[in-house]
Amino acid sequence: MTEQTKPRRPRLDLQVLGPIIALAVLIVIGALMNENFLGYGNITNVLSRSAFIGIIAVGMTFVITAGGLDLSVGSMAAFIAGCMILAMNALVPMMGTGWSTIFAGMAIALALGLVAGLANGLLITRARIEAFIVTLGTMGIFRSLVTWLADGGTISLDFTLRGVYRPMYYGGILGVSWPIIVFAVVAIAGEIAMRHTSFGRHCAAIGSNEQVARYSAIPVDRVRAWTYVLLGILVGIATIMYVPRLGSASSSTGVLWELEAIAAVIIGGTMLKGGFGRVWGTVVGVLILGLIDNLLNLTDLVSPYLNGAIQGVIIILAVVLQRQKKAER
Amino acid sequence: MKMITTLALATMMTVPAFAQDTTVIGVSIPAATHGWAGGMNFHAREAIERLEETYPQLDFVLATASDPGKQVSDVEDMMATRNIDALVILPFESDPLTGPVAAVADSGAWVTVVDRGLAVEGIEDLYVAGDNPGFGRVSGEFFVSQMPEGGNIVALRGIPTSIDNERVAGFEAAIEGSGIEILDMEHGNWNRDDSFEVMQDFLSKHADIDAVWASDDDMAIGALAAIEAAGRTDEMWVLGGAGMKEMIARVRDGDTIVPADVTYPPAMIATAIELTALNFVSSAPVSGDFIIGSVLITQDNAERFYFPESPF
Amino acid sequence: MGLDVSGDPVLSLNGVCRDFGQVRVLHSVDFALHAGAVHALIGENGAGKSTCMKILGGYLSASDGAVRHNGQDTVFASAQQAESDGVVMIHQEFNLAEQLSVEQNIFLGRELRKGVFLDHAQMRKQTQDLLDRLETRVDPAARVEDISVSDKQMVEIAKALSRNARVLIMDEPTAVLTNREAAVLFRQIERLRADGVAILYTSHKLDEIARLADMITVLRDGRVVAHGAGAEFDEDRMARDMVGRDLTNLYPDHDGPVGQEPVLEVENLTVPGLVEGLSFNLAPGEVLGFAGLVGSGRTEAMEGLMGLRAATGTIRRNGQPVTIRRMSDATQVGLGYLTEDRKGRGLILSQGMRPNLTLLALRKFVRRLIDRRAEEAALDTAITEFDIRAPHRDVAVGNLSGGNQQKLLLAKTMLNAPEIVIIDEPTRGIDIGTKQQIYAFIRTLAEQGRAVIVISSEMAEVIGLADRVVVMRQGRKAGELTRAEISEDSIVRLAMGLDGKDYAA
Repeated sequence: MTEQTKPRRPRLDLQVLGPIIALAVLIVIGALMNENFLGYGNITNVLSRSAFIGIIAVGMTFVITAGGLDLSVGSMAAFIAGCMILAMNALVPMMGTGWSTIFAGMAIALALGLVAGLANGLLITRARIEAFIVTLGTMGIFRSLVTWLADGGTISLDFTLRGVYRPMYYGGILGVSWPIIVFAVVAIAGEIAMRHTSFGRHCAAIGSNEQVARYSAIPVDRVRAWTYVLLGILVGIATIMYVPRLGSASSSTGVLWELEAIAAVIIGGTMLKGGFGRVWGTVVGVLILGLIDNLLNLTDLVSPYLNGAIQGVIIILAVVLQRQKKAER
Repeated sequence: MKMITTLALATMMTVPAFAQDTTVIGVSIPAATHGWAGGMNFHAREAIERLEETYPQLDFVLATASDPGKQVSDVEDMMATRNIDALVILPFESDPLTGPVAAVADSGAWVTVVDRGLAVEGIEDLYVAGDNPGFGRVSGEFFVSQMPEGGNIVALRGIPTSIDNERVAGFEAAIEGSGIEILDMEHGNWNRDDSFEVMQDFLSKHADIDAVWASDDDMAIGALAAIEAAGRTDEMWVLGGAGMKEMIARVRDGDTIVPADVTYPPAMIATAIELTALNFVSSAPVSGDFIIGSVLITQDNAERFYFPESPF
Repeated sequence: MGLDVSGDPVLSLNGVCRDFGQVRVLHSVDFALHAGAVHALIGENGAGKSTCMKILGGYLSASDGAVRHNGQDTVFASAQQAESDGVVMIHQEFNLAEQLSVEQNIFLGRELRKGVFLDHAQMRKQTQDLLDRLETRVDPAARVEDISVSDKQMVEIAKALSRNARVLIMDEPTAVLTNREAAVLFRQIERLRADGVAILYTSHKLDEIARLADMITVLRDGRVVAHGAGAEFDEDRMARDMVGRDLTNLYPDHDGPVGQEPVLEVENLTVPGLVEGLSFNLAPGEVLGFAGLVGSGRTEAMEGLMGLRAATGTIRRNGQPVTIRRMSDATQVGLGYLTEDRKGRGLILSQGMRPNLTLLALRKFVRRLIDRRAEEAALDTAITEFDIRAPHRDVAVGNLSGGNQQKLLLAKTMLNAPEIVIIDEPTRGIDIGTKQQIYAFIRTLAEQGRAVIVISSEMAEVIGLADRVVVMRQGRKAGELTRAEISEDSIVRLAMGLDGKDYAA
């Protein structure tokens, strides 16, 4: 006998609408509070600076959907940023202060992301250590490596190079800045990969029930390792967009990015225990998080001491809104 | 019970007797989690290296902690395993460290406290500190001197701590009645990225900003990037603080958007370590309070504060 | 059985209807449970048995009609409330906390206390008493995770007893039990009956029903189609009433030709610690049965063959040696495997039918991106071809009945068009009508010239289906029986080690 929990299939599916409603409410509040909120400048600011977390969160969606977790992404971003800057500075005497040096730096960032993600992935799938522990470990390793590289201080990009590289964050085409474009491309590609490719289907299968995946001839370990590699590469891309902003990296770069990315993924409706993921939801989650910060800065509603509390309440509300239906009988 | 204590003491006494000719100085500082702390770590290591070379009879133990709990453990470990003769400590937070440091003082060791005072007075033999209210005051006075007619400013604050509160209080007292209005104040957490984002939002929110009190050089760098991106460099200037070498270089080179800086030298840890060492290698009296004032750096005196090798 | 069931019922359904969305799944169902009587509720998968049980147990509410408890209309707000009123349901999937001990599970939520502390001694003693009553030798301190499936069943029953159940609803309790364990369970049921407990019992095993039931209610398509005292039914009548047609030939005839050249030769297959030196051949058009006791290594051998376990040995496909390291190697050379554990390993219960159907053969649906329309078409075909009955297309597979899940799993495996199909326990927990369909399907596969291996613990199934039987015992091949040699006696003798060279052991 079938055991549907609802007498009728709900047309207004809060699972889908929850995060969108939360985002819409934030936008309405913002527009009412401050007339600059919906201005071109503010929108560009919020979207551009959400892009790093956003690009990482898209990758995180796959990792979490496949039943994994990666706590190391924030530290990894700091480490890659540090290495990338040091490498570009070192290449200046050979390659000059042009785009060729910057492209070399980008290649290094992508390669490092790939290697770092592969390291996480192999430790998790081959050495069979829990993802939480592996990435907690690599989180510490990447963080102290960047501190060591920076000698406790800040690694700064060559001044001339910074000027050349700067438009990568601040510039754009047709008034849309590059971080926004890259974020959009990554998000669309991610959405397609999640919903319309074997890879996405396999991630969901592994996250739902690893045994079923194994008995369906899916190379479970390989797919799972790939999710970490993909995430590593996306961290590399995020770093490529991050470095031109301030032209520096330090041990405080990317602190808590991992939690923001994970929060965005969960707000977006992906199951933390795996088995179901949606990339568009993650994008909404990232925007919600970005807008909360922005709103708190633009308005004088609460004491700055309470910013964290407001964030927490909104994150929990956004998830409550979409989970409520499940508790019903 | 008493006998056991005596016995234990007797056992402990044997170790220094055995290593009589070397003095062990423990140094416990927060880890390099932001720029200023990075500079402080650099100066601590540099001072230790230099002193160990000069005075072979001194032996240093350096521990960096990422949170107060870890620092308490560090101090306890130094007591238990290294039997330190002196402790130089920059407490993460005052309250949690007060007890453990008092225990060190009770054991008869010399205690030097740096920057952040303990919750109970009179524990330390030597107190070396920057002047946080003074830091705020010097900054505020600079604003008053630059804006005699008054004007609109925004401010970035550090991580919510007593240090930050003292600085802001000093600053607010100094600008009182000058006609300078603080439009907005948010925490930038002594972090470039955070202050970049806060400054972007300030720029969206306020059409008329004459100056920015960033209160820290890392935060100033973040704020400057946001101002440059918004193309509003002609409207305002930025005052940071602490004396980061890049910022001092900009002051020295006459950058109009960075007209000055205020010192809060991370090298104060070196002062503390050297004074502590002096206590053991010379007869110079070094106990008491040693307050390092905050100095305004302008184009005229910038060269004196520029240390190219420092990471900060 | 000469029990008096004419008194007032303890718990009854009176004209109960239940709708799921627009679909009515129960049509005015009436039946009553009496103290001291076993009432069997039988019907095919999807006939409405689970829904009835859930309504009685407080897990679902009736859309129309009334539930009467001790003569009064009652609406159980929750299963907890039903339990506190003495109505306890034992689920097929156990409701036990795997990480807790047996004792902790039995007293979960109503722990005995001495002051603020738990009274461990008392709880231990009561648990031991309960388990003794059930003739179960499981240690009260054992973690539920570590005990066998049948012991878990007993723990569930002990838990129900400890709650002083007056009405016990048992959903296919013997599906996971061995015959010996089932016998213990039957004794317990008789004891409970004598104590005046009203029992609702469901099972697909009609001989059990004939043996136990005082009353029988037969459901078909959500309606009561037959009702009467147990003595009025024999197994044939039960089957006929359930299916609505005669089931004279449950097993299809073996009339297809069996090929001469083997399509698969397995030599010396060894799965360390589980299977030792297993060799056998398989010809096209043949159904090869694998018999043996539970734990004799049949499943492990097939999983080793499929690359799901580390195994050694020589495998030849159409005479050519092949290497199988992982399951994709096996599927590549035309092997397909249906696991016995369809809920744990076969299907993703939280997902719909479409992604489940195409998961194994997903490659066939990828043209750059997954072709969803082709997937939907494949699902249409599967639904027709395998007669899968689902309330709607997007239903989560976990909400399908066991028989329909098994059909979907078959469809999933066949979508990859394997030449050799290995089916592990093809009809476990499945009603008789669906069984017949699956047997017919297995025979069709053989007639199409494919080769089929059927592992089954049901003797009748092996005998009825197989052209040849391999009997395993303690990880080794105990013997092989040709069509003419196959009999219950010959299989049991081999399986128990009473024949052949293992005799001494």
